[in-house]
Amino acid sequence: MSRARSLGLTAIGVMAFTTLGALPFAMAAGAQPAQIKPGQTSPEPRSPQRIYAATCGYCHGANVGPVIMGRHLPQKAIMAFVRKGQGAMPAFRPTEISDTELAALAAWIERAPAVPKEHGQ
Amino acid sequence: MTTVSRREILQASALSAAALGAAALAAPAMASPLDHARMLPEGLPPREFAAAVAELRAIVGQQWVFADADSTLPYTKSLIPDPDHRHVPSGAVAPASVEEVQAILKVANRYRLPLWPISTGKNMGYGMATPASSGQMVLDLKRMNRIIEIDAELGTALVEPGVTYQDLRDYLDANNLPFWLDVPTVGPIVSPVGNTLERGVGYTPYGDHFFMQCGMEVVLADGTLVRTGMGSVPGSTSWQAFKWGYGPYLDGIFTQSNFGVVTKLGFWLMPAPPAYKPFVVQFDEMDDVAKITDTIRPFRMNNLIPNGVLIMGAAYQLAMFHRRADFWTETRQIPDAVVKAEARKRGLGMWNTYFALYGTDEIIAAVEPIVRGAFEAAGGKVLTATEMSDNPWFRHHASLMKGGMTLEEIGIVRWRGTEGGMVAFAPVAPAKGTETRGQTALAKEILAKYDFDYAPAYAVGGRELHHIIFLLYDKGHPAEERKADACVREMITRFAERGWAAYRTGVSTMDLVAQQYGDANRALNARIKHALDPNHILAPGKQGIA
Ligand SMILES: Cc1cc2nc3c(=O)[nH]c(=O)nc-3n(C[C@H](O)[C@H](O)[C@H](O)COP(=O)(O)OP(=O)(O)OC[C@H]3O[C@@H](n4cnc5c(N)ncnc54)[C@H](O)[C@@H]3O)c2cc1C
Repeated sequence: MSRARSLGLTAIGVMAFTTLGALPFAMAAGAQPAQIKPGQTSPEPRSPQRIYAATCGYCHGANVGPVIMGRHLPQKAIMAFVRKGQGAMPAFRPTEISDTELAALAAWIERAPAVPKEHGQ
Repeated sequence: MTTVSRREILQASALSAAALGAAALAAPAMASPLDHARMLPEGLPPREFAAAVAELRAIVGQQWVFADADSTLPYTKSLIPDPDHRHVPSGAVAPASVEEVQAILKVANRYRLPLWPISTGKNMGYGMATPASSGQMVLDLKRMNRIIEIDAELGTALVEPGVTYQDLRDYLDANNLPFWLDVPTVGPIVSPVGNTLERGVGYTPYGDHFFMQCGMEVVLADGTLVRTGMGSVPGSTSWQAFKWGYGPYLDGIFTQSNFGVVTKLGFWLMPAPPAYKPFVVQFDEMDDVAKITDTIRPFRMNNLIPNGVLIMGAAYQLAMFHRRADFWTETRQIPDAVVKAEARKRGLGMWNTYFALYGTDEIIAAVEPIVRGAFEAAGGKVLTATEMSDNPWFRHHASLMKGGMTLEEIGIVRWRGTEGGMVAFAPVAPAKGTETRGQTALAKEILAKYDFDYAPAYAVGGRELHHIIFLLYDKGHPAEERKADACVREMITRFAERGWAAYRTGVSTMDLVAQQYGDANRALNARIKHALDPNHILAPGKQGIA
């Protein structure tokens, strides 16, 4: 078999895996109901910890943005930074982090102790 | 920057309560859009704007209309150069349902109020949430954030615009569903809907997002609700299973367009493979981009390498975790020799090509020697986790190629200054070495003329590459902002002279790029636009369509 031909055949194998070959793994999900209708996301405010983990913490203390935990930055300043998008940071709107969530998040960050595993640069 | 200065804190604390969104601190009176001189929609007298705002508030509730300068602030933030302030929104309105979107469009038609739809509004490097022309009101769909359906047998998702990749990842994990997502490099805070509508890319085998999209729901400017593909059939059970439906294929005309407001989008999820192996191939010379392109091409055509491959330039990689001043303090473009030396110190090449193999151990063992042999024959150094597991760049890309959540690349935007600053120019190159070598040389030459650095990434599709040129500048420096604007325009113009045009562009250059696609293309888009949106209320200027 020529090299080109053998490449073509293997390629089909890989393609089949990522598309058609999905079947066995999808079946593994059979334990779940096949149709899931999660419904409206809960309007309950999320906890500061959860918002920090899902948004802030990807940059702050992770080599991208400055460390903000354990610095006792004033709540008001944090709230303004978030809405304005301080420096190179994107701005976050009330549709992303509600006013209630932001006030609690900023108060929590103001009081929070330093997190040893975080780093700034 | 690693610190927040006292000056910044004081300045921030002085911002008004409204800018803080500080309902929880104090209850601010509802600001009137007429309180201060400010940006208004073109041709709309202030009183009529105020009347439109009152009607919008009646639809979505007081707190979901942002119509004064302070509360509009988060919608104005943008990283791209806008030296003449041509992309300032007049405000924003945030509906929670399709019915509210329809009601808003009615008001907009009556007042001729232009609306700029966004899903999560994190179109970074392309204008974020800002509109193609000042005065448009942002139609912020973030509150529409339901994951409507995940079909665990077919591996399909149907979501609303406000759902982020993080929301979806959390949902799949919480329900133990064995699927991978395909994310752009900024997954946690952006939306599969916004990204797919821009025809964005990611780095697993499902990296071409529009290719993996299946079915959408669209509200037209007159309020008509349309479902594309099989979704038009009452009671259809195959909306997310078959892309093409019947008759003319419509989904394409709602991407990179202003023909409708997309309220639901379907797409396919990749079954988590039992085995996965990431690789990086390093080359040491700028010119080697030609060899890399020619080596990858057959593997992407025959799918032996199945994923969205990234060929990362060393300067881009360095900029993720470092500042320019760490390496170079002169104004002129950082020389290749400096970039190369700094990259080498950190275990990086001048070009770092990240790809991965997926499947079973047997499949990977069969394919690896073929691919490895080809790259080594071209002079590349092929490395895996065995050698690179401690390297932060390798870890970053190994995570991306399995759909991991990260924002590490955002670090590049403050390469030159703490205020950040970045605009993307993304020309398409056919997958031929002579073409990528030519594009790299031309980009470097133009950037050098303006003292900017060349921080590239090539995202490899099937037979082409998106050449992502991130022009990094300091937005805190007005003269530099103006220079960046001139530089990106020169790149767009001079690339087009060689037949190379962008696949997507920022709000400030939409018209310029549209011109390059020619009169017939523009006239056809204009006719469709006028037929669907005769009052031109939806995102006028988007992709150069009035
Ligand atoms: C460092 C860095 C790395 C990046 N990496 C990538 C990458 O790997 N891949 C990539 O694709 N991008 C990348 N980006 C660019 C960008 O951030 C992403 O594409 C992002 O997904 C777009 O933002 P969004 O999802 O919030 O979309 P939005 O900002 O919500 O939408 C983008 C545009 O689409 C239109 N639109 C959105 N929603 C609707 C709707 N419902 N109806 C009608 N029109 C609508 C609007 O014109 C809107 O302005 C990167 C940016 C940076 C700074």
